Amino acid sequence: MMLEHILVLSAYLFSIGIYGLITSRNMVRALMCLELILNAVNINFLKGNIFSIFVIAIAAAEASIGSAIVSSIYRNRKSTRINQSTLLNK
Amino acid sequence: MDLPGPIHDFLLVFLGSGLILGGLGVVLLTNPIYSTFSLGLVLVCISLFYILSNSHFVVAAQLLIYVGAINVVILFAVMFINGSEYYKDFNLLTIGMALLRWFVQIIWTTRSNQIIEQDLISNSQQIGIHLATDFFLPFEFISIILLVALIGAIAVARQ
Repeated sequence: MMLEHILVLSAYLFSIGIYGLITSRNMVRALMCLELILNAVNINFLKGNIFSIFVIAIAAAEASIGSAIVSSIYRNRKSTRINQSTLLNK
Repeated sequence: MDLPGPIHDFLLVFLGSGLILGGLGVVLLTNPIYSTFSLGLVLVCISLFYILSNSHFVVAAQLLIYVGAINVVILFAVMFINGSEYYKDFNLLTIGMALLRWFVQIIWTTRSNQIIEQDLISNSQQIGIHLATDFFLPFEFISIILLVALIGAIAVARQ
């Protein structure tokens, strides 16, 4: 009973994370939904293998670089809307 | 952890409802600070799931790194950036329906006899042995990746 419940919850968190990542207008909310996706994948590895620890370490590195990039984008352009990079649209 | 049956089931239902509500809170709340705290609730519920799965090292790693470091970094990013617009641009209902169909397909096409449960007894000593013998090269690469990522993050975020 434990096995199926964890896998169903992992699939649910993955779907919610992808929904939030697609439909979020704020960049920091997209980062948070990315962390949701990574955690959903992490909980799919049952019994806490070695690979879960590697996924946690990679998620930490990616969260720090993502927040550094978001803060430098905010410093340059004064807003963090996702659909503001339209320089290639012409 | 060998809990009695009803306590185990009650804890499963409690953590599952916490996960469901927290996941909805991350996506649907308009204030980004509220959604950051909801993300913290989701991470704590996930670490309690790891307690129920008898992998205690991942519980400590999850609490320390995810809740203690990653959530705080995201909270810093939220605090530094003012003006959070949460305005729906395009049709969200079709995307929500498509994801609901995808989610149901994930669950209903995974038959129960396809789920293979590994017999890896993962207490802390076993994880340490695996890190030192079998997974030594990924361990070194992960440490180099973390070093490069932290130096890069500081170099990008500096003035």
